[in-house]
Amino acid sequence: MDARLKAFLLLNACQCFDGRAVEALAQRGIKPEDLLEAPALLKALGASESSISAWSDLQRDGWAEREWEKCLKLKVDVVCFGDGRYPKGLLDLSSPPLLLYLWGASPLDDGGVAVVGTRRPSTYGLRIAKELGRELAAAGFVVVSGGAYGIDCAAQEAALEADGSSIAVLGTGVDCVYPSSNRRLFERLKESGLLVSEYPLSSQARPWRFPKRNRIIAGVSRSVVVVEAPQRSGAMITARIAMEIGRDLWAVPGRVDEEVCRGSNLLIFDGAQPLIDIPAFCSLLGGNVIFEGESQMRELSVEEKLVYSMLKERGERTVDNIASEAKMSAADAMLALGMLTAKGLVASSGPGRWSAIR
Amino acid sequence: MSKALGITLRGIEAVAVEVEVEVTGGLFAISIVGLPDAAVREAKERVRAALRSIGISLRGRIAVNLAPADLPKEGALLDLPIAIEMAKQVGSVPASSQPAVFVGELALDGRLRRAKGAVPAAMLARKLSLPLYIPHENAHEVSLVKGVEAYAISHIAELIEALRGEVALRPIEHRVPAPQEIEVDVDLADIKGQAGAKRAMEIAAAGHHNLLMVGPPGSGKTMLARALKSILPPLSDEELLEVLLIYSARGLSFDGGRARPFRSVHHTASTVAVCGGGNALQPGEISLAHRGVLFLDEFTEFRRDLIEAMRQPLEDGKIVVSRSSGSVTYPAQVLLALACNPCPCGNFGDPGFPCRCSPGELERYQRKLSGPILDRIDMQISVPRLSPDELMAVEPSGEDSASVRRRVERAREIQIERWKAWGIRSNAEVPEALLRKEAHIKKEARAFLRSAMGRSRLSGRGFTRILRVARSVADLAGEECVGASHVAEALAYREGANIYGRPS
Repeated sequence: MDARLKAFLLLNACQCFDGRAVEALAQRGIKPEDLLEAPALLKALGASESSISAWSDLQRDGWAEREWEKCLKLKVDVVCFGDGRYPKGLLDLSSPPLLLYLWGASPLDDGGVAVVGTRRPSTYGLRIAKELGRELAAAGFVVVSGGAYGIDCAAQEAALEADGSSIAVLGTGVDCVYPSSNRRLFERLKESGLLVSEYPLSSQARPWRFPKRNRIIAGVSRSVVVVEAPQRSGAMITARIAMEIGRDLWAVPGRVDEEVCRGSNLLIFDGAQPLIDIPAFCSLLGGNVIFEGESQMRELSVEEKLVYSMLKERGERTVDNIASEAKMSAADAMLALGMLTAKGLVASSGPGRWSAIR
Repeated sequence: MSKALGITLRGIEAVAVEVEVEVTGGLFAISIVGLPDAAVREAKERVRAALRSIGISLRGRIAVNLAPADLPKEGALLDLPIAIEMAKQVGSVPASSQPAVFVGELALDGRLRRAKGAVPAAMLARKLSLPLYIPHENAHEVSLVKGVEAYAISHIAELIEALRGEVALRPIEHRVPAPQEIEVDVDLADIKGQAGAKRAMEIAAAGHHNLLMVGPPGSGKTMLARALKSILPPLSDEELLEVLLIYSARGLSFDGGRARPFRSVHHTASTVAVCGGGNALQPGEISLAHRGVLFLDEFTEFRRDLIEAMRQPLEDGKIVVSRSSGSVTYPAQVLLALACNPCPCGNFGDPGFPCRCSPGELERYQRKLSGPILDRIDMQISVPRLSPDELMAVEPSGEDSASVRRRVERAREIQIERWKAWGIRSNAEVPEALLRKEAHIKKEARAFLRSAMGRSRLSGRGFTRILRVARSVADLAGEECVGASHVAEALAYREGANIYGRPS
C-alpha cells in the first residue's frame, strides 16, 4: 500500500474531510501523504480536535493497513479523489467524496441513469420502477440507485433481470447488507453490477449516512428519475442535489391525492420533466429503443381489445366494472384479463384491480 | 339371559357395551365398574331417581358391570341401558325381553334427554340387527339412517311399558331429504358486485379447489365464503351419512338438509379444536367440515403450528388423532377457504385509503402468505373493496346460488365420470402425472401456458395448479378438451397471493 492511499483511507475514516479539503491542500503545495509525517498540518486544514485525535489513534493502530488488507481479501477496489478513474461527475458536487469503495464486476462511470423513490411504493410505483429498470437496461444504460427497499430494489432487480448493469450506492460499508432482505440483489450486483460506498468496510447503517450517500447517486448519474416519493424522503434529497449540480431531473407523475406521490409531483411543479412515456424517455436519452405496442394490438381478440383499450384509456378498474362497462360476463372478463396478463399487457394493480401496463 | 346393550364411542364408531347388574342384600349402595368416566359414574343418581319416579324402588347392594371391562366408557348415554337392566333385576321388566341397544341420558323425573352418538349407535344396531331405543330428540338424525329398527321414546315409563308388551311402539320412519333440499344462508345474489370473485367461487366449487381470498376489510370475503357453501352440490346419501356420523359423535345436530357443512374457525382456536383430540379423542373442526367448507378468516393470524398440523389431513382427506388413550381416524375431506387482508393495516392497494405499513411489516406479511400450506391452494384471488362510485357503476348482480349450483353439479358429474377409473371425485384431487396425461389438454393450451409461464415466472407446481383450475373451467363450459382460453382464465385466478407485485 502506498502512502497516498493510506493517507486517503485515514482521512476518509476521520469523516470530516472531503475532496475539496484535498484540493485546498494541493493549492498550498501539500500532498495528502505529507500528513502522515506531519499531523500538525491537519490543524491548518481546519480539522477539529476530535478528528485530529481520531487520525492519530487510527494511524497508531495500523487501521489503514488492516482496512487495505481486508479490501484485498474481498477484492474490493478503492478509487481516490484525483485518480484518473474517479468519476468526473462527482466533481460537480459541493462536497465530493474523498474516496469510494467499489465492489463488483462493472466499472464505475458517470453515464448511468438514477432511478430513485420511496421505500413504500404503491403497486403502480413498483411496476413503473421495474419497467424503467428493464427498458433502461435494454437500451444500454446503467441503472443507478440506493439498493433500498421499494423503488430502488425494483428498478435494480429489473435491470439485472434484463441482463443490464446496475450500480447501488450504499449508506453502509460495501460489505454490509442493508436491508438484509435485499441480500440476493446485492449478491447479483456483485456479479454483474457494482456496489459503491464512501464508508469504510463494516460501517453499519446509521440514519445520517443515507442522506449523504444520495449526493453520490446524483453525482455519478447523467439523469435522475424520481418514481414515487413523499415530500420528506431520501429521493427528494437526491432530486434537489441533482438540480443543484445540473443533472437532468425527471419525475413520474402520480395521483394527486396520494401522500406517496406528493414529493414527485411537487418536483414536476418545480420544473422537473414529467416522465410520461418510458420508451420515449429512453430514446430521448439516446438509447436504442424498439417500439412494439402497435403490432401486439393486432393479435388481440375482440374482447381483449375492448378490455385492454378500456384499461388503457380509462385507467384502473375492478373486474366488476370491466364486466359491466364492457357488457360481458365475469367469466369472459376474467378470460380476457388472463389472456392480456399472459401477453404482458395488463397486470393486477392492487387487490382485485387491473390496469394496462403497456 | 339377554343383557341390555349400551354403547360407548371410539371416534365415530360405536362399541357395544354389555350392562350387567347384580342385586344382593345389604345396605343400599350402587357401584359401577368397568372403567366408567365421571359422567358414567354419576349415572347411579340419575338412574335411581328416574326409576323411583316411575315407582321402581331399588334396595340392597347393587353392582353394575360394564363389559368389556378394559374399555373406557364415557358419557351419559349409558344411563338408559343401566336403568333397563336394573328394572329387569327387580322384575319390572321381564328378563326374557328381546335384546336391544339403548342410548339415552335420564333426567331425574324419568324423561330422556338428547344423547350424543345416536347415529353411530344406529349403525351398530343395524350391524347387530337389534332394535335401537333412543331419546325422542335424536329421532331426526336416526331417521336418516337406512335399515335400522329404531324407536324414539321420551320417558322411561313409555319404554318399560313397551318392553312389558303393554303398548306397541312405532319404529322411526326412514326419511331422506329431497335432492334439492338445501338451506341457504347467504345467496350469491345477495352480494353486490364482486363478479370476478363469484366466478372464482363457481370454479372452486366445481373442481373442489382450495381457495385463498386476499382483500381489504369490508370487501365481502366472509360473505363470499358463506355463499360458497350455497353453490356446492348437495350431499349424496352416502356423504350425508358420513357427515351425520361425525356430528352425532360430537353431540351436535346437523340439519341443513343436503347442504354441505360450513365451519368457520377463529384464529385463536387451538390445534386440538381444529384437528381433533382431547381425552375423548373428539373430532375437530376439520372433520366437522368434512365434505363441506372449512373457512379460516384472517388466515395470516393463525399460529404456524396449527397451519402446519393441517397440511397432512388436507393431503390425505383424513386425520389420525393419536393420544395416549388411543388413536382414531376421522375423515377430513374439506374445501379449504382462506381469507386475509393484503397487509397488516388492510389498506394496501386500495385507492383512497393509504396503507400505513412499513416496508419491514409488508415483508414479514408477504412471508406469511407464502408458507407451505399455500402449495395446497389452487386458487388465489384478490377481492377489491369497491368504492361507492364503483359500486354505483356495477349492474345489479343477477344469478342466484341455485342456478350456479346447477352448473357446478353438472361439472362435478363430468369429473366423477372422467376420474372414475382412478377413484377420484374432483379435479383438485388429481395427481400431477395423471393430470398431464389424462386431462385432455390441447397442445395450444400447453404452448400458451408455457409462454405465459416465462412472463409470470410460474413454478412447476404453479403450472400444475393452473392446469387443474383450467380443467375445471373447461368442465364448467362442458368442453371435452382444455383450450388456451380456459388456461387464460385460470391464470387470472392466481394473482391473489402476489399482491405486492413481486415474483412468486
